Amino acid sequence: MFQKKRKTSIGDRIFVICNTLFMIAFVVITLYPIINTLAISLNDGTDALRGGIYLWPRKFTWKNYITVLQKDNLITGAYISVARTVIGTVLALSANAVLAFIVSRKRFMFKKQLSFFWVVTMYVNGGMIPTFLLYKSLGLTNSFWVYVVPGMFSAFNMLVIRTYMNGIPESLEESAQLDGAGYTTIFLKIISPLCKPVYATVALFVAVGQWNSWFDAMLYNRMSANLTTLQYELMKLLSSVTNQGSSAEAMKNAAGAVTPTSVRAAATILTMLPIVCLYPFLQRYFVTGLTIGGVKE
Amino acid sequence: MKRKKMVALLLLTAMTTAAFAGTETVMADEEVKEFTAFFAVPGSEINDDNEIQQMIAQITGAKCKETWLTGQTAQEAVGTLIAGGEYPDMIDGGDGMAQLYDAGALIALDDYIDDYPNIKEFLTEEEWDKLRQDDGHIYWIQQFGNIYGDEKATTHNDEAFWIQTRVLEWAEYPEITTMDQYFNLLEEYNEANPTMEDGTANIPYTILCDDWRYFCLENAPQFLDGYPNDGSVIVDPEELKIIDYNTTPTAKRYFQKLNEEYQKGIIDPESFTQTYDEYIAKLSTGRVLGMIDQWWDFAYTVNDALKQQGLDTAGCNYVPLPITIDEGMTNQWHNSGGTLNVASGLAITTSCEDVEGALQFINDLLSQEVHDLRFWGVEGVDYEVDENDEYYRTEEMRLQSSDTAYKASHTCTYSYFPQYSGTSHDGINAMKPEFQAKEFYDGLSEDVKECFAAYGVETYVEMLGTSEAPGPWYPMYSYSNNMTTSTEGGMAWVKMGEIKHEYLPQVVMADDFESAWENYLSVYEGCNPQAFLDEMQEELDRRMEAAAKYQ
Amino acid sequence: MAAIAKRKKEKITEPKVKITWKEVKRQKTLLIWSAFIVLYGIIFCYLPLGGWLMAFQNYRPKEGLLHSQFVGLAKFRQLFSDATFIRVIRNTLAMGVINLAATFIMAIVFAILLNELKSKGGKKVVQTISYLPHFLSWIIVTGILHDALSGTGIVNEILMNLGILDQPLNFFAHTKYFWPIVAFANVWKETGWNAIIYLSAITSIDPSLYEAASIDGAGRWAKIKYVTLPGIRPTMIILLLMNVGNVLNAGFEVQYLLGNGLVQSVSQTIDIYVLKWGISQNDFAIGTAAGIFKSFVSIVLIMIANQIAKRYGEERLF
Repeated sequence: MFQKKRKTSIGDRIFVICNTLFMIAFVVITLYPIINTLAISLNDGTDALRGGIYLWPRKFTWKNYITVLQKDNLITGAYISVARTVIGTVLALSANAVLAFIVSRKRFMFKKQLSFFWVVTMYVNGGMIPTFLLYKSLGLTNSFWVYVVPGMFSAFNMLVIRTYMNGIPESLEESAQLDGAGYTTIFLKIISPLCKPVYATVALFVAVGQWNSWFDAMLYNRMSANLTTLQYELMKLLSSVTNQGSSAEAMKNAAGAVTPTSVRAAATILTMLPIVCLYPFLQRYFVTGLTIGGVKE
Repeated sequence: MKRKKMVALLLLTAMTTAAFAGTETVMADEEVKEFTAFFAVPGSEINDDNEIQQMIAQITGAKCKETWLTGQTAQEAVGTLIAGGEYPDMIDGGDGMAQLYDAGALIALDDYIDDYPNIKEFLTEEEWDKLRQDDGHIYWIQQFGNIYGDEKATTHNDEAFWIQTRVLEWAEYPEITTMDQYFNLLEEYNEANPTMEDGTANIPYTILCDDWRYFCLENAPQFLDGYPNDGSVIVDPEELKIIDYNTTPTAKRYFQKLNEEYQKGIIDPESFTQTYDEYIAKLSTGRVLGMIDQWWDFAYTVNDALKQQGLDTAGCNYVPLPITIDEGMTNQWHNSGGTLNVASGLAITTSCEDVEGALQFINDLLSQEVHDLRFWGVEGVDYEVDENDEYYRTEEMRLQSSDTAYKASHTCTYSYFPQYSGTSHDGINAMKPEFQAKEFYDGLSEDVKECFAAYGVETYVEMLGTSEAPGPWYPMYSYSNNMTTSTEGGMAWVKMGEIKHEYLPQVVMADDFESAWENYLSVYEGCNPQAFLDEMQEELDRRMEAAAKYQ
Repeated sequence: MAAIAKRKKEKITEPKVKITWKEVKRQKTLLIWSAFIVLYGIIFCYLPLGGWLMAFQNYRPKEGLLHSQFVGLAKFRQLFSDATFIRVIRNTLAMGVINLAATFIMAIVFAILLNELKSKGGKKVVQTISYLPHFLSWIIVTGILHDALSGTGIVNEILMNLGILDQPLNFFAHTKYFWPIVAFANVWKETGWNAIIYLSAITSIDPSLYEAASIDGAGRWAKIKYVTLPGIRPTMIILLLMNVGNVLNAGFEVQYLLGNGLVQSVSQTIDIYVLKWGISQNDFAIGTAAGIFKSFVSIVLIMIANQIAKRYGEERLF
């Protein structure tokens, strides 16, 4: 026994070294595009055109950030973006948790049908125009609710939560039922507390999705300046400074002291920041393992 | 517990913000009419409190909130608008214009035009007629390419063979008029000066091939044969026949030349894989000696970059050369007169509740006072006036005018509303700063000035010479750009594009040019180009017939 | 290890519940909730499918869905008689499968190795960095990739210094490199992000299982093999099943941004085809027809995959 342990610890050490090396390589490779983007965002736009900027800005300037931050309507956009992220995440998380709870009940008579009903929605899509017409007739256009209601349920998130819930022993539910608890109580008091890691994961997915989306703002709320989102404003800025203009007029409009690559880089870094700040709060659910209390089998 | 409270509080704030955001209305100035407009092209949105917009509003009693295409194609954007049935007051549907007309979303303007002198005057009777749709009505006003008074052309805004001034200077400013001379010069220069001063290797010639920008590779044969930029075909002005420039002997000679130069290493090996951004980066380093491109496609960004690095003093700026396939031909790289693209323009929609007001606004935007505000800006702030009533800008003003943030908060060009180039009503100034001769010349780099002096010219346009405006059919691309796959010719047109994208680079890179060319031609024929040419011929005939009554 | 075995067994013996009044009453809460959810699903996910009518019409926005000319299967015939469309299906499938395999394996490997890191701080840092590229837009990522693979880029430099190449290779000019480059781009951008879900699954593994394994004398590899992998197996299977249905959604942007005329025969995907031949030509019906085709293939694929999963007693979609 003793000897065995020492033996594994040598193998262990080799593993630890290799693993550490792998992680370092991985970090370098993934960090590179971020640092590159950061460097470009801090570099003079016209100068950056020449290329050749890798890890460090060549001609330092805050100008790209200033350009982004001076955009009109940014404050309104930020309010709405925060609101849709918070409300959208709460709604979507509750909705998908309930749905996952239902389809993970082993006794539930329609669990297969209900799952199938949602799985199909992942792969079918009526197209942009019919969807637009639907939202319009539901009064969702030019309204805040178009951001949070249509995407509330998602098969992907449901399946992720369901998989996790399936791993929770049925005995818990049974013993609660014997104590006279209804499904509502079981969901809120027994299952949900155990699902924190997966809830955190889904919340992150939804929040990032909400924070980053802009197409709905453009499609449904184009005419309502007070419902604009941060990302939509940034997209407008980017497409206006883009050098992809297809005519002399468009190019003339676009030509300026800042160039699209650098402004895009600055906008990217700015939108990344809130998520980066939020992440550590969620991360403890991923890094530290949770003990499923009282589930000893 | 504390955290829960925080979350609840955050939620509450978010909820209330959202609720309020929905009901909050902006109090509009009662005096000022507010219109909305959507342009199905990318563009820059200006701030709500834009200074010049306010000034124009005070003069005209109206303003317009403009929105632009973001992340969609013009067709998609227009498609959703039509499906929803709600439009902004004014619209330019870009590539989706025909759909808007088709959907009955636009208001016929013919009955109104006579009441608005500036609009009426904006186009000639003949031009208005060209804008008539098949139901005989006019629905949109083409905003661009309209010249008032003297033309004042300075910059050649279109396509050309460009070359760096240092190459011309080194060769003591020779006359270069053929493609062979052009490439010989590049070869000789590159042999004598393989690198730039800092040791970076020169790239003698590069070709932009990214997506729709592959015109830099494919449409040169029409110019080399001495024809103007009809874009998709050549029109024989005598016989009034459509000619396919893809298969002419000149086309073969041109691609054979490129193939030869590719084998010699004169052509950038990354030509066919580079993206537009990489191409711009390459030009910005000053390494590229020459290329074909449209001025607007590279110059606005590249010139700034060259200047910033001091490369303009090293002779890295580009000037155009009047090149044809053989000596003694007239070139038509530059034509006089505006280009009326009848395929799109500014229209008023059925959702507009105040058509007269909107037209009045468009009319007022064309008055000289407002036009000056739009393009020159505010006197004393954006430009100065000298003792001869000539407008000029200081270096500072020039810089400021290209600053993105300044443009958003101060400048309001209403850039997709009708506008003039050419000469102002005062007979002195240009309608837009970039056409003001002195303003233009002051903005030039030393190397370009020297080069111009050596050739005895003063503008880019004079480097090429100006040809007469082409016939009334011009430009044919306003038709081919709007073709769809619903016709046989349209189908062929899209296929031809696909094939050229794939095969022309192979032709240039081939070890055996002849067989590659044959191969290309046989695949090309497989696209049924004749169907396309027939439809173009039909359109040409129609245009000539329509124009006949004005001759 | 006994515990794992038990877990597995549970899955196989699912109770068959007969629909009786007593059951209905018992599941009243679940049924009422489901009713609302189904209603929502019908409105938001199934009602817009009326738009599929478009594929059988010469759709014109003016006439709308109800009055456009009906053309039957003409649009489908047009699609499938076009050799280009057949080619883009091949491209889409190939890239879909390669991307799926590459991103799937990399995410799992990364999640497991990250979990093996001893230092908690290190874990946190690596993880935070790993998911960041997810937030970069494709235009940025492809720009960097273009740089790295260019004639003077770092890749060519390394290969030439190692003596593998004697002159720079233009990676984007050869059709054979295109699919691997796309796969690499996907792995580069999404590995960390995709791993999040596996990391959360790993946390759900009962620590006592590791203790038990240690007592049984299991080394690191054995623990990964017998505890970690089985622990995240349901998540793996579910994600794999879902992604199998997505192989025809191999993307638009990456291929569009990385492709060029020389490699267009392998770079064009269904979505690019739709933009070129449908939307840009004012033909919305082509896009819808292609969409229906994709949906049909996806659903058939997941049904098959689901059946296979069922046969092997694995986690299933439905």
